[in-house]
Amino acid sequence: MSSSSDVVLETRDLGHAYAPGRFAVRHLTFELRRGEVLGLLGRNGAGKTTTVRMLTTLLPPTEGTAIVLGHDLRTGGRALRSRLGVVLQAESLDFVTVERNLLLYAFLWGVPREIAKSRAEEMIELFELEKARRRRPWALSGGERRRFQVARELMHDMEILFLDEPTVGLDAIARRRILRYLRERARQGLSMVFTTHILHEADLLCDRIAVLHLGRLVAWDTPDGLKRRHMGLREISVTFTTPLSATLRAEFERDLGARGGSVVPPPPGLPPLEPAVTLRVARVEETLPWLSQWVQRHGLDIERLAVEEATLEGAFLGLIEGLEEPDGGDGGDGDDRPSVRGPALGGVGP
Amino acid sequence: MKLPPVLRLVVRNFSSNLDPLTIIIRFGQPAVTIVVLGTMFSAIISSDVTGGSSYTAFLVPGMVAFQMITGGVVSGNLFWLDRRWAMTEQIFSGPFLRSEYLGGLVLTTLLFALVGVGVMVLVGLPFIGIAALSASGVVIVLVTVALGGIFFAGLLIALGSRLRSANAYFTIQSFLQLFVIFLSTVYYPITSATPRFLAAIFYANPLTYAADTIRDAFAGSFGASDVLSLGVLGGLAVVAFSAAVYGFRTLDLGPIQ
Repeated sequence: MSSSSDVVLETRDLGHAYAPGRFAVRHLTFELRRGEVLGLLGRNGAGKTTTVRMLTTLLPPTEGTAIVLGHDLRTGGRALRSRLGVVLQAESLDFVTVERNLLLYAFLWGVPREIAKSRAEEMIELFELEKARRRRPWALSGGERRRFQVARELMHDMEILFLDEPTVGLDAIARRRILRYLRERARQGLSMVFTTHILHEADLLCDRIAVLHLGRLVAWDTPDGLKRRHMGLREISVTFTTPLSATLRAEFERDLGARGGSVVPPPPGLPPLEPAVTLRVARVEETLPWLSQWVQRHGLDIERLAVEEATLEGAFLGLIEGLEEPDGGDGGDGDDRPSVRGPALGGVGP
Repeated sequence: MKLPPVLRLVVRNFSSNLDPLTIIIRFGQPAVTIVVLGTMFSAIISSDVTGGSSYTAFLVPGMVAFQMITGGVVSGNLFWLDRRWAMTEQIFSGPFLRSEYLGGLVLTTLLFALVGVGVMVLVGLPFIGIAALSASGVVIVLVTVALGGIFFAGLLIALGSRLRSANAYFTIQSFLQLFVIFLSTVYYPITSATPRFLAAIFYANPLTYAADTIRDAFAGSFGASDVLSLGVLGGLAVVAFSAAVYGFRTLDLGPIQ
């Protein structure tokens, strides 16, 4: 294991089986550094929540090791938990007003009363809970409840914050506001483990991303690294100034095909949207010069050109869809599943 | 100053899920029972049946014993609601041990039951007289209610740790309360006229032992049979509490409805 003092969480072959031989997650090996935000991504049931529950001592690991803030995960107990913050995926609520909830939670954590009061005001303002201040949880909207839950967890001090889908049900403005605040806290040294299905926000917030698939870590990299490695085919929309003749179109498709690309066919039953074509290519940076030359060679002109951006979502889809293909390693239920250290993925990771 | 974790949890138990109306009803219902049922039945039930005292004086110790159920039910319900609203999971992810959470529930039970005892005694004083309880009697009453409270709290917590549906939990809890109260000597004594099968059921009910012991403590006639009753109650409290501990150790923190 690494001896860097910057590492606040380090797992090695961590796993949990809900029943003998039935692993929810297995062979998790990754680390988290101080002030770093680690995004845990994966499809539903990939093992994200199980991982968070293990790392917060709610679920005992059945194999492997983890050192969190210098404590062994299995024996750290209260000493470890008192340095963590956890926003659960489930709604966890007490039946008192929002303001009272914040103060009561701070009291539970032993935060001095005066500090708790000023922090509650700060959180109410930050998370836009002023109108909800005197309301009880059942009178809050879904978004308000979620904001309240994140706000409540920030009432106490911590060194690692676990956020299990904290932005579910939030509008775009609230989501952006929370992400900006979390980013600022990370800059101040708070480490975070963050799960989400909104990949755009993972891209905004996370320094590194761990992708889980069927309980295995299949990628662990920076968002840019993931995009570089796993962004699958990207689309280029081209609108010519004049429609292509049938001969020219056939030649275009043939030449593009020779370079490993293809023209996206129109939806079934609809004619091609002449003079527009959509290309699907693996390497945009090589295709664009070729396209320019091809157009010049044939005396054509392009009216509009749009290239699909390389996104984390695209990389995630490329990665997961690759794994779910019949020969992509998705057929096993045990040790034959892919993992970042397996040969199938060539040791991906920072 | 930071309170110990168990006390922080007790404060939280009292302020989070117990609204004033619930507290008033929990204590008000048996108090009203003493006044209304006591007054009405005293007029029609002969004191021969109730060992020479008025029916109200007979009922007051019964309602005192009833507080062990009140305390137990309060904790059982708190635990259930915490589970239902994921607060057990939230608390367990914080700086608390499971044993402290359980300890907090038991302390909440005891505090609730003891406050209930005080309220019942205050309401019953005009009927039983101020000199009814000696110092040793007070101790016996408190110990009895504490043991009974732990028994019911343990039972309901064990139940709550296993069930996954609110309907099932509250139906069983209501049924259990009704069954335990009416098949005990809280409202009526066991006499020679009591059918034998009912008497047998009464004696299988821990509330009977509690009510009889408390009645004897009130009457100043605490004796060997009461020591045995306390022993039985203590044994049952240990069994129920152990079941609750087991329930906690194996508690599935996953979602329930």
